[in-house]
Amino acid sequence: MASLTSSRDFSLSVADCPLIQIEGWDGTLRQFEKSVSASLGTKLPASVGETVRHKGLLIIRIAPRRLWLVLDEGTQAPALSVDPDLGCSVPLGEGRVRLKMAGPDIARLLSGCITVDWHAPAAAPGRAVQTSFHHVSVLFLRTGEAACELIVPRSFARSLSDWIADG
Amino acid sequence: MSSNRKRLPVGGRISREVPLDFTFDGRKLIGYRGDTLASALLANGVTLVGRSFKYHRPRGIFSAGPEEPNALVTLGIAGRREPNLPATTLELANSMDVESQNRWPSLAFDVQSVNGLLAPFLSAGFYYKTFMGPTRRAWMFYEHFIRKAAGLGRAGTGPDPDRYEVRHAFADVAIVGGGPAGLSAARAAAAAGARVALIEQDFLLGGQLLAEPSDSAAAAWLRQAEAELKGFETVVLMKRTTAFGSYDGNVIGLVEQRDPTGPKPNGEARQTVTMLRARSIVFATGAIERPMVFSNNDRPGVLLASAARTYLNRFAVLPGKKIIVATTNDGAWRTAFDYAAAGAEVTVADLRAVPPAALAAEAARLGVMIRAGTRIVDLHGGHAVRHVTLNGPEGQSSAACDLVCVSGGWSPTVHLTSHLGVKPVYRDDIGGFVPGAFPAGRLGAGAMIGAYATADAIEDGHRAGIDAAASGGKSAPVPAPAKLDLGDTATTLLREAPSVGHGKAFVDFQMDVTTRDIELAHREGYESVEHLKRYTTLGMGTDQGKTSNFPALAAMAALRNATIPETGVTTFRPPYTPVAIGALAGRAIGHHFKPIRRTPMHDWHMANGAEMLEVGLWMRPYFYRQSGHDVNEAYVAEMRNVRQAAGLMDISTLGKIDVQGPDAAIFLDRVYANGFAKLAVGRARYGVMLRDDGIVFDDGTTTRLAENRFFMTTSTAKAADVLSRLEFLLDTAWPDLRVAVTSVSDEWAAMSVAGPNSRAILNAAFPALDVSDAALSHMGLLESGWGGRALRILRLSYSGERAYEVYTGATAGEQLWSRLLEAGRPFDLKPYGVEALGALRVEKSHVAGPEIDGRTTLDDLGLGRMAGKRSGFVGDVLRRRPALRAPNRQRLVGLECIEDGKRLRGGAILFLPDEKPYGHGRGRITSVTFSPERGHYVGLALLAGDVAAEGSEVVAVYPMKAETVRARIVSPVFLDPQGERLHG
Repeated sequence: MASLTSSRDFSLSVADCPLIQIEGWDGTLRQFEKSVSASLGTKLPASVGETVRHKGLLIIRIAPRRLWLVLDEGTQAPALSVDPDLGCSVPLGEGRVRLKMAGPDIARLLSGCITVDWHAPAAAPGRAVQTSFHHVSVLFLRTGEAACELIVPRSFARSLSDWIADG
Repeated sequence: MSSNRKRLPVGGRISREVPLDFTFDGRKLIGYRGDTLASALLANGVTLVGRSFKYHRPRGIFSAGPEEPNALVTLGIAGRREPNLPATTLELANSMDVESQNRWPSLAFDVQSVNGLLAPFLSAGFYYKTFMGPTRRAWMFYEHFIRKAAGLGRAGTGPDPDRYEVRHAFADVAIVGGGPAGLSAARAAAAAGARVALIEQDFLLGGQLLAEPSDSAAAAWLRQAEAELKGFETVVLMKRTTAFGSYDGNVIGLVEQRDPTGPKPNGEARQTVTMLRARSIVFATGAIERPMVFSNNDRPGVLLASAARTYLNRFAVLPGKKIIVATTNDGAWRTAFDYAAAGAEVTVADLRAVPPAALAAEAARLGVMIRAGTRIVDLHGGHAVRHVTLNGPEGQSSAACDLVCVSGGWSPTVHLTSHLGVKPVYRDDIGGFVPGAFPAGRLGAGAMIGAYATADAIEDGHRAGIDAAASGGKSAPVPAPAKLDLGDTATTLLREAPSVGHGKAFVDFQMDVTTRDIELAHREGYESVEHLKRYTTLGMGTDQGKTSNFPALAAMAALRNATIPETGVTTFRPPYTPVAIGALAGRAIGHHFKPIRRTPMHDWHMANGAEMLEVGLWMRPYFYRQSGHDVNEAYVAEMRNVRQAAGLMDISTLGKIDVQGPDAAIFLDRVYANGFAKLAVGRARYGVMLRDDGIVFDDGTTTRLAENRFFMTTSTAKAADVLSRLEFLLDTAWPDLRVAVTSVSDEWAAMSVAGPNSRAILNAAFPALDVSDAALSHMGLLESGWGGRALRILRLSYSGERAYEVYTGATAGEQLWSRLLEAGRPFDLKPYGVEALGALRVEKSHVAGPEIDGRTTLDDLGLGRMAGKRSGFVGDVLRRRPALRAPNRQRLVGLECIEDGKRLRGGAILFLPDEKPYGHGRGRITSVTFSPERGHYVGLALLAGDVAAEGSEVVAVYPMKAETVRARIVSPVFLDPQGERLHG
């Protein structure tokens, strides 16, 4: 993880984002979810934007049939085998970057970046919101009272982190 | 230095202990903290502030708010110069540099004021009638002079050093307007438990309450209201903030000015645009006073009555001592009373035959003279008012004065609600338009819905605040608001008819539209309000006709002998007030203008002499400086090296899509014009997609990784469009297919090793891999690993040489790139850029963006055989349209330059040798390169099929450089038509 900017009111750092996307087919979604839940040993988030944390793994439902499994640094990827008749998986960890932000000034800074209401229940700690940042699709992840992450495409990461740092 | 000679010694809401220096047209003046520029100018006795748009008539300050049509000024110097700002909304600050505008050589003596004498020739429709002849080209001649004379202020041309910001904000309840209704609504909504944003364009809260004396009951009520609001943690008070537009989804566009009197900004934005999203909105935008229409009603010294009261009570300015108050209603009498109390000699000319007895009694007590049933018909004076001609029951008379206050009633400020499509409806009882039915989540309060009396506005706001909070589920008990009864009542009982003497009577001050213009428009049939507006330019100034719309409507209604609702109402559109482009852009300027995409090898390119080129959002190596001193020398050297040895190209920018699922092959069979169902695992195929209309959409290769999994590549430019198209088809056309598509463009670093030495280089880089022709033939796939990382090698060629696309995880891209370069050093492997890439593909006739331009079909591009007799794919039906098979339809050909020392150019228009080079020609050159193999320029072109016989000649005309060159039509494949190089 590299620190890009740090002050008393705000810090920004960038880190890799080990990530696996899994998706279930329409019609067999319940079976897919049951199978994945059993493999991971935990329940899955029920609705879009909800997350479940389990043993170094953050499970995010980013679309009705699509989940992201985000691994903490140093965590081994789960042994997950998706039945092709129920769904599929694709690794996305090489192409995403986590921009980690924290500090009392975070809400003000984010207001110049994304259209997410920091005080809304949909953006409460533990929640995720798909949004756009300077025309780029990103995932906002609220990690604490004064902390959040943006999971952004790697090719845009420097441009977007520059924007935040210049805010 | 000026003396503030019109400033009263006490009173007002200014801080006399904080004097502020400013200049107006170079003249040094002093105002005080709490002043606007307008109030400071009036205090210093400056009455002439600007010149009108068309006739260059002298103009002064007319209002005290954003409706100001006359007193427009230019603020700042150099890059900070900002024109056309109403002096009435500019908060005075130290060292402000202000200039008047639209005058030459000076404000007092303006040469173009001669236009006033030419008025008979400058009537409505003047451009349309005058500048159409004598020839078709006449306008081209006139335009220069007209544009030079037109406009008001001029913006600076230097870069603006200030910072601007765009941000997003949220609230349960947004309240637009900080007058009595808005304050009451904010308090009620906050007390009910809502998160509230209160938006006020002024730097003080209070609205019309600010026109009340600073020691009055109104002032006490205002202090209490503001203190209460500050006590709520959930209330954001946004002063100096104008709501310029309201949009779908309860979004309001706001522009906030930085406090100009505050400490020097430390990175703080000069202006901030906020897109505020609220669960519900209370519009408490108040009302705008109407002028009265009489001859010379535009002269400096004519003020709206409410504005005159504001200058007196808020800013402690007494702009005149001998005052005529001309009115149609009760409200203006309060101005008369306050001026009389301040020592002025006041006459009220009320159009009503019998003004209310209570007002008459108070007038008598204060020594105010009453002229009932009387109107002003003419005003006399140049740069200031000297006297007026009155017409009443006693006939015409003249009255000396130095200030005229006018009130033609009030127009509710319905602009923002109109933006949302709420049609205004006319209320006869108040003589004005109010918003029609509000949709859920939007409410109105106070004067904007016709509740003119302060007591009513407070009650109204209270109710709206409670309702707005409740619609978001916030309904805690709310205590009743403090009462405030100013004795002001709903007014405007009489609709004024224009009264015209000898001079022009203005309806729209900013656009110089007079009653005669409206009469002319009526005579010429432009009776509809929308036609009237466009024919006369009424309401098209920076003030958007805030003071002129209703008087114009009333004048047209009178001419048509129709009621006002029958005559119509204009449509208001954003912005309510002008917004600087810089504020809308915010920080999206310079290197932040748009986000930039960097490949995993970007830093290597930068460190190793690459000249970068922006392609879409990607930064790509254009050429490498070590290859040549300019692009032309470099690309030829780089392509020679690819043809003779080997080149390495960063192709990470290609769109990459993971396609998975039991129905993936069926899906690809439907989206591509050529078949994919039978593609073997481990093999790749070139594919072309069509749009629904049969036109080519994009091309690329797709590789079958496993029975149910494919790896699709798209062109760099169309990557997002293709993914979006695939998702759309899966969601709408074939939801039954079990297929997932995911962009993996950022997942993989990709590089192409191309050239006769490419296999040897791969052998050296990956000694353990078998990349022989037997193991990895053309269009084959090899999946492996290196250093614990994934490795995917596809044998594909874009250059026409033996070539391999090498993929690895993005985080290891630069490492693999360096490894290949190191391994390739003995084989003369060198990097090459996009210019060489483009040239290599032209020699091989590989089509790209210039040919797949949204107009060409498979057959046009010589790719018709790919679809063959297949059917059932996207675009299949409409690609068979007869017009797409016409013999003269343009199709792809090759061209070679046949004139020594000349060159072909992309975009050149093609003609037959004996044709006059005029018009669109027979086709165009799409792509060009110098071919080292051929020793001259070659190109691809789209040329009419009926003249495209190989061996014929055409003439390529490039008008931009006045070049004409002969070219021969040849096969588009300039190199290795049998494909021996890529298979060899």
